[in-house]
Amino acid sequence: MVNYLIVLFAVTLVYFAAAERLLIYSRLIGLQGLLLCGIALFELKEINTANLIFIASETLFFKALLIPYLLGKIISRSGVTKVHHQAMPGFYLLILSIFALLLSALLASSLVNPFVNTIYMAIALFTLFTGLLLIVTHRLIISHLIGFLIIENSIFIFSLAVGNEMPMLVNIGILLDIFVGVLILGFFGLRLKPHTNELTMLKD
Amino acid sequence: MVLLSFFIISALMGISVVLLRNKTITRIITLSFAVMHIGFTFYCWTNLNKTELTYFSYNSLGVLLLSVLSLLSVPTVYHGFVYAAGDEVKKYNIYHAALIALMTFMTGAYLANGMTVLWIFVEATTLAVAALIYHDRTEMALEATWKYVFICSTGIALAYLGILFLGFIYGRKDAANLSFASFSYIINNANPLYLKIAFVFVLIGFSTKMGLFPMHTVTIDAHSVAPPPISALISTTLMNVGFLAIFRVYTLFSGSSILPFMNHVLILAGMLSLLIAAGYMLKAKHLKRMLAYSSLENMGLVAIAVGVGGIGYYAALLLLVLHSLTKSSLFYQMGQLSRVLHTFKLDECGRYMKLYPAGALILIVGMICILAIPPSGMFITEFLIFKGLVFNDQWFILITAILLLCFVIYAMSIRIMHIVFSDPRNELSLRPPDNVNAAETISQFLFLGLVVIMCFYQPPFLVDLINQSFASLPH
Repeated sequence: MVNYLIVLFAVTLVYFAAAERLLIYSRLIGLQGLLLCGIALFELKEINTANLIFIASETLFFKALLIPYLLGKIISRSGVTKVHHQAMPGFYLLILSIFALLLSALLASSLVNPFVNTIYMAIALFTLFTGLLLIVTHRLIISHLIGFLIIENSIFIFSLAVGNEMPMLVNIGILLDIFVGVLILGFFGLRLKPHTNELTMLKD
Repeated sequence: MVLLSFFIISALMGISVVLLRNKTITRIITLSFAVMHIGFTFYCWTNLNKTELTYFSYNSLGVLLLSVLSLLSVPTVYHGFVYAAGDEVKKYNIYHAALIALMTFMTGAYLANGMTVLWIFVEATTLAVAALIYHDRTEMALEATWKYVFICSTGIALAYLGILFLGFIYGRKDAANLSFASFSYIINNANPLYLKIAFVFVLIGFSTKMGLFPMHTVTIDAHSVAPPPISALISTTLMNVGFLAIFRVYTLFSGSSILPFMNHVLILAGMLSLLIAAGYMLKAKHLKRMLAYSSLENMGLVAIAVGVGGIGYYAALLLLVLHSLTKSSLFYQMGQLSRVLHTFKLDECGRYMKLYPAGALILIVGMICILAIPPSGMFITEFLIFKGLVFNDQWFILITAILLLCFVIYAMSIRIMHIVFSDPRNELSLRPPDNVNAAETISQFLFLGLVVIMCFYQPPFLVDLINQSFASLPH
């Protein structure tokens, strides 16, 4: 079951490359939150129940509900619906995304480890590359935010891979989620002008 | 118990500052915090290598950097009082509460004895710095804060990935806090590829704090708008936090086969930092940004020094200490310069020697010190780095570094001399200069005096502490 969820998670990443509407980005982030909640529930069998409930509810509340809600608010404030007039065309991004998937698979196969499942490693690396790709190829602030949220999800998958042995690492990853959800999205996201790329007052 | 008391009292002081809404009480509490910090540092000196609360220890490197923070605490607090004097009570109190929080978090980071605790405190410093950079509540402050928070968050996320890779190496329940001690004996048997990936992630991630290439942009923009006393902390003690995190992992992995790889990566990062610093300093038009690029240059030298190894370790740590004293003096002076000239734009600055002689003298002495021109103590550190490069036959790096440093010296000296002795290029936008008391420069003269003394005499207790800090590294 976990493998199905992980593959579904990878599909959402490819969809990120093809999507053009910010609203879809926001929904995909929410969907990823739900999938991660499922993966955590199925994967973390050896940790105590209270910790598991905490991790699952955090994933559900922050990743699947609060962050998409805040993103939706920022998008509606900005009035911008599409990303690709200020970003690399989706077609090229899709090709880069496929390359990233292949590279991740190659890297994962060379990073064989008794504690980490290869498929976990491959998808987590693919998630990391997708997040970085979105940040590099897009110019909108909101796209950068979404890229960062994807990197966050990659870290969460990595931490789940060793979650049974080191639950503290998962909890610290959650700390990062809360930090991002509250400070970056809640405070700065709503104050900046997300429809612009005019963060150029500070330059040499 | 002492450490726990320190954290609890610091938290109570921070909360009191926010709640009490009285400037006089805020000043008393903040100054008391600085004094308490100095007392706590003395306690750490008398309890070297003692572990407290499981996750902290008074290790040599931590105590060395903590001492630098303590030295800077009172002047930073004092200059903060002056800078924020005209602010409304709420803004004034938030500034001081965030300052207390920042210094407490940095203390926690210095003394952490495991990767996860260190990472948590580094993440926490981002929150405090964000509040401080946003102090002026302008559009520029918002942009700088946004960039700082976003890039730092990406950085700490990448650093966390590095920590997770460490977790993959270990993968056992008995090392849940990833303490440095628990790792030391398994590193030799670990997959070198994992170690390399972990090191690169940690280096990139924590370079947001150290201000090193490739994540250096974050601190440069922050300096443009941060209050000068805060720039003094971001450019010195906070950069030391980033260095400490990278150096801890470097020390941990130094017994493995990836030591040459780490040295090459550090030298590469250092050289690129030097290159960028030299290039941007040549076209700098904003005084604080120029000083920020100077910090990038010095952190580049620190990275090269560590990469060189041997005597380079000593040079790196001494350079960190001396850079902290010099750069903080220059940033404190920026606060006074802005009150005299009302600007940081180089075209609008000039005649500083006539308007504020004490400040002009600080700029000249500070320039000599930061550019490592004798009798600056930083000259000794750069000399040791070059000696290490010659010893390792790394001639290409040596020549390139010296060439880049020549550009840095030219760029900075021509600008400082213009501010001190020349007329402003753009006279039209000038406002009448304000008077600033010369006594405000006392702490700056003291720090710069220390840097000069270090050129001729380095006290044995300092030399011992520095030597202990890298005792476990291969020589």
